[in-house]
Amino acid sequence: MKVRAPRASRASRAPRDSYAVFLLPGGLVFLAVIVVPFLMNTGVSFTDWQGVGSPSWSGLANYRDLMDDTEFWASFRHSLFMVVAMAAIPTAVGLVLAAALFDYVGKHFGSRITTVLRACFYLPQVLPIAVAGIVWSWILAPDNGSLNELLEAVGLGGWRQDWLGDPDFALYSVMGVMVWVQLGFPLVVFMAGLQRVDPQLYEAAELDGAGWWRRFRHITLPQIRPEVYVVLTWCTIAALKVFGAVYVLTKGGPGGATDVPSYFSFSTFFEKTQVGYGAAISTVLTVIILALSLVGLRLQTRAEDAEEGART
Amino acid sequence: MLTARRRVAASVAAVLTGSLLLASCGGSDGGGSSDAKTLRLWHYEAPNSAMGAAWTEAIKEFEATHPGVKVKFEEKSFEQIQKTAPMVLNSSDAPDLMEYNKGNATAGLLSKQGLLTDLSAEATKRGWDKLLSPGVRTTSQYDGDGVMGSGKWYGVPNYAEYTMVYFNKDLFAKYKLAEPKTFDELVAAMKTFTENDITPLANSGAEYLAQQYVYQLALSKADRSWVDSYELYKGKTDFHDAAWTYAAETFADWVKKGYIGKSSTSAKAEDAGVSFLQGKAPILFSGSWWYGRFQDEAKFDWGTTLWPGSTLTPGSGGNLWVVPKSAENKELAYDFVDITMSKKIQNLLGNKGGVPVAADTAAITDPKAKELITHFNTLSGRDGLAFYPDWPVPGFYDVLVSETQKLITGSEKPDDYLDALQEAYDKGAPKR
Repeated sequence: MKVRAPRASRASRAPRDSYAVFLLPGGLVFLAVIVVPFLMNTGVSFTDWQGVGSPSWSGLANYRDLMDDTEFWASFRHSLFMVVAMAAIPTAVGLVLAAALFDYVGKHFGSRITTVLRACFYLPQVLPIAVAGIVWSWILAPDNGSLNELLEAVGLGGWRQDWLGDPDFALYSVMGVMVWVQLGFPLVVFMAGLQRVDPQLYEAAELDGAGWWRRFRHITLPQIRPEVYVVLTWCTIAALKVFGAVYVLTKGGPGGATDVPSYFSFSTFFEKTQVGYGAAISTVLTVIILALSLVGLRLQTRAEDAEEGART
Repeated sequence: MLTARRRVAASVAAVLTGSLLLASCGGSDGGGSSDAKTLRLWHYEAPNSAMGAAWTEAIKEFEATHPGVKVKFEEKSFEQIQKTAPMVLNSSDAPDLMEYNKGNATAGLLSKQGLLTDLSAEATKRGWDKLLSPGVRTTSQYDGDGVMGSGKWYGVPNYAEYTMVYFNKDLFAKYKLAEPKTFDELVAAMKTFTENDITPLANSGAEYLAQQYVYQLALSKADRSWVDSYELYKGKTDFHDAAWTYAAETFADWVKKGYIGKSSTSAKAEDAGVSFLQGKAPILFSGSWWYGRFQDEAKFDWGTTLWPGSTLTPGSGGNLWVVPKSAENKELAYDFVDITMSKKIQNLLGNKGGVPVAADTAAITDPKAKELITHFNTLSGRDGLAFYPDWPVPGFYDVLVSETQKLITGSEKPDDYLDALQEAYDKGAPKR
């Protein structure tokens, strides 16, 4: 034992050292493009600066203003709606669709149809958001947009709306577009997760007379729980920093009805040239996203540990 | 690509610096070298626009009159320059001459930060001050606080712009309406169109058109001192005064009456222009920048008139030529500006559908172009350019868009709308 122990520790240290070398370039890039700009941004957030000339130190003034800024808090409320549209709904619908494609369509119509359908759902993820946004702004246009024309054609003309221009509908319209954009990602991840589920589990359940819904609840869901955590964390972060879609579709309008923190920060930074204040907004946003990510990862680890504990 | 470009720029800069040192010449301001071989020029006018065509010709003229000197032109977008200019001008990558947006929040801000060259001496020496009318010249000069209208020259506009009522003559004739010469006739025409299920005014709530309707309505009840208070901070601006109140209430009323479509809330300026071009909206109130396009694309007979019953209308000198403080070849930049002010280039600009500031009226042959310039001369003669509503405060454009959208949707009453404008204005306007 005494002879073996040092050898084992030497053996385990050697690969760690070589891994560190591989991590170095990534670490340096991370430092240069994430850590340093973030620290600089935080520094700027303590100043009153218009982007040119010398910034003047203003301490916590920007953060104090932020606390009382109703527009900022409204933009955060809209972010929560975006979390529903970009994380909750796509994850839930993605789960059901992935299970349906894998367990039903795959079995009855073959893998080729499944692959085509999966690609169709994933297509919006491939499209640049600017392109998707422009196309959707045509679809949702009030006068001759396809959606209103379609409603008219099927005799539902009374449902015509100014989808992006009416403050009562605009946020929900943007949410709808984001569900469409986002759905493919969880679907693909869940389908990949389902590949590693032992088919015997399904067969056994089927023999025992379990229907599709029961198999979904008691096999699919528990088996791909790690993927669900990953998707939820990832999509929540994407929802909190959503920018492109809002920029292209509504520019935060009408009357701020679809404003989100990242767009609010952008307009404060570039349109109002309040660089210090814009930096404070993005610093707060980063801290919130970081905190939520850590909470998400912690929950995921805890759940995985609990599962492992239950198995052993 | 970027690296290669930077390398070329660095080499050019190194060669220029070296030659400057060797020849021991050049002005104390870092420019004016007589042996400079490159003029770096940025502008954002589309090549097929009146200005784009005129500047292209000016580049040819410049190279012909400056043998051995190359113009290194880089086409930028408006947004690109608008968003990055302060940072670029603060770096060593600044060009020798650049087109830049005019007004307190843009050229004024840069001048205040010391990023632009004082052109006062050149303006006098080369006679630019004589060529520009007072209304046009306002945006050239900025005081120490970056407020336009007085102080040193930091930019030169080579064209002007103003807003007008564009109307579809065919549709007016169809509904037996006279061309609107008075405000009452304009309102009567809008009423008739609405009764015939036509939304008369082309509008865009998501971009500048809506706020310009409101501002024009306010201007129709205002005078020069009101504009000076609002734009130049020469007095107190009260958004609950008679002019602003009339504007907000009338605008809201027009939405209610259907003169302005509720569905225009999310429309962009392009949508409004297209609805006029498609013959859907018979009236569009907007700037002279549409003129050339309507000339090219409209399939119907159309005319223009200044907003009836108002001495003042939104308008100003066009965007400015500015010379960055760190420009290396300032003398070449001044020569180029001088060429764009020449009769030849100004006349070309006029005939292409722009509004020249120093053209020879007799040389403008196109009848539509003549009409455009005649209107401008009328405005200029009565000191009627009232600038734009978003100029006084940085970020006010977004506030106006957002608040006017609320006025269109009816989610805000005119009184609350004016409160919101007052708050944003007071917060952003310099204390004087």
